[in-house]
Amino acid sequence: MSSEPIIICDGVGKAFQLYMHRNDQLKQTLFWRWGPFYKEHWVLRDVTFNVSKGECVGIVGRNGAGKTTLLQILCGITTQTHGITKLNGRIAPILALGAGFDIELSGQENALIGGAILGLKRKEVLKRMPSIEAFADIGDFFYQPLKMYSSGMAARLAFSVCAHADADILIVDEALSVGDAEFGAKCDAYIKDFAKHGTILVVSHDLATLEALCDRLVWIENGTVKAIGTPQQIIPDYKIAMGREG
Amino acid sequence: MSLDISLERAAPPRQRTGLLFLQAFVAPLERAWHYRDLIRAVVRRELSARFKGSILGWLWAVFGPLVMLTFYTIIFSNAVGVPKSAASGGVKTYALSIFAGLIVFNLFSEIAYRSPGLLQEHVNFIKKSIFPSETLAWTATIRALVYAGISFAVLLLFQIVVTGGLPWSILLLPLVVIPFTLFLLGASWFLMALGSFTRDVSFLMTSIIPVMMFATPIFYSFTDVPEKARIYFRLNVIGNYIEMIRDLLLHGQLPDLTVYAGTVLVSLLIFRFGYRFFMRYKSIFVDVI
Repeated sequence: MSSEPIIICDGVGKAFQLYMHRNDQLKQTLFWRWGPFYKEHWVLRDVTFNVSKGECVGIVGRNGAGKTTLLQILCGITTQTHGITKLNGRIAPILALGAGFDIELSGQENALIGGAILGLKRKEVLKRMPSIEAFADIGDFFYQPLKMYSSGMAARLAFSVCAHADADILIVDEALSVGDAEFGAKCDAYIKDFAKHGTILVVSHDLATLEALCDRLVWIENGTVKAIGTPQQIIPDYKIAMGREG
Repeated sequence: MSLDISLERAAPPRQRTGLLFLQAFVAPLERAWHYRDLIRAVVRRELSARFKGSILGWLWAVFGPLVMLTFYTIIFSNAVGVPKSAASGGVKTYALSIFAGLIVFNLFSEIAYRSPGLLQEHVNFIKKSIFPSETLAWTATIRALVYAGISFAVLLLFQIVVTGGLPWSILLLPLVVIPFTLFLLGASWFLMALGSFTRDVSFLMTSIIPVMMFATPIFYSFTDVPEKARIYFRLNVIGNYIEMIRDLLLHGQLPDLTVYAGTVLVSLLIFRFGYRFFMRYKSIFVDVI
């Protein structure tokens, strides 16, 4: 199991700079010498864990514990204040389904842009278009502008694009609860299939899914790692902690 | 094309070599080449989204400049009057001269108006997917260049009709257009970064640009400017570009080489430092937009 780590997260910490006034940010940029003009707010402190190749790791924790920020740092969307992260492979982040979509364009055109963001060439996306259309399974709506879609349809399209990105690492942020039961099952099936050859990092509050899917869980509490272990080890304690407080 | 994540990390150790200066100009170009498929896809979207839902579609892109050209010709030939420098050529060449100036200036003003809000406009892309935000300057600039190109085609057509031909020096236009494009990119990066920190940049642009328009030789020429003030007008990069493009396009002569060298140098510096400014604050403004 413990082959080369494909995701390395070593002592990662992140402080947001909280500005009381919007323009304080500009002041900080120009007059940092006389600053600081912000208060620091630490959302993550000294988070360390590795994910091996082919492993599926879940992240649990209450709202505001820093889970999403951690994923954003790993994806390179935002930068950590200290610590080291390393990802050895191509990632497909499913952070917010359909976030980068343009409602005026058709599903097909959006798939082209979505694919390009994930690092696919135009030709590659075009070649996979029939498969993307089939996976999304939204009928002729695929050729309609996105403003005609229901939110479930948009989510189907988004997931379908990510599923065709040839990624080595799938990073999923509790996005899978959208869509109906049938599509949910399809996504689960895809992720299980992906887990056979790829690496997955998933954030979710659905403990049953995590237990079925993951090899290990990382429990994050107030921005620090509280425990790492198998789902069987973590979930009972986590349930107790959740029950006690809420 | 694989997405190399280690490329994205915040503070890679900088290598200081003798070639650093040159490398600094090449780095942004390399990065754009790396993301060429993404840039192409976004440009395609911008262009096709612009006229979607209108019946005439792309004809608007031709119609707009045509109307502008006609009206400027009428207004400046009758109501305002032709300045000294253009008196010999007559009203029609004057109209061409204005139009060439306006194409160049509008190119700049579109970038200047749009850039401060670009990051805000694409906040979903930037915060929720692995979107390289520096490519937004490229897509905005390419889009503006496409519209300018359409206007330019109208201009060429008009010129052939009026003067019966085109000067050979037109072939040298890329030597002016390429540094101008780099200037626009640099300005765009700079304004994007500033605009994400404060909305004031947008408001500043809306008040500055119209003033700049009259401080730039669009409706007149450098030779109309009083001798003493000319040196200040030379500081206006956009004005220099307009003058150089007019030389090549309308007058069939080479621009002043000193002015050319100076303008290109300033453009390259703006390109280089605009990019650096943007990349330096990139990690910060993701958290504030």
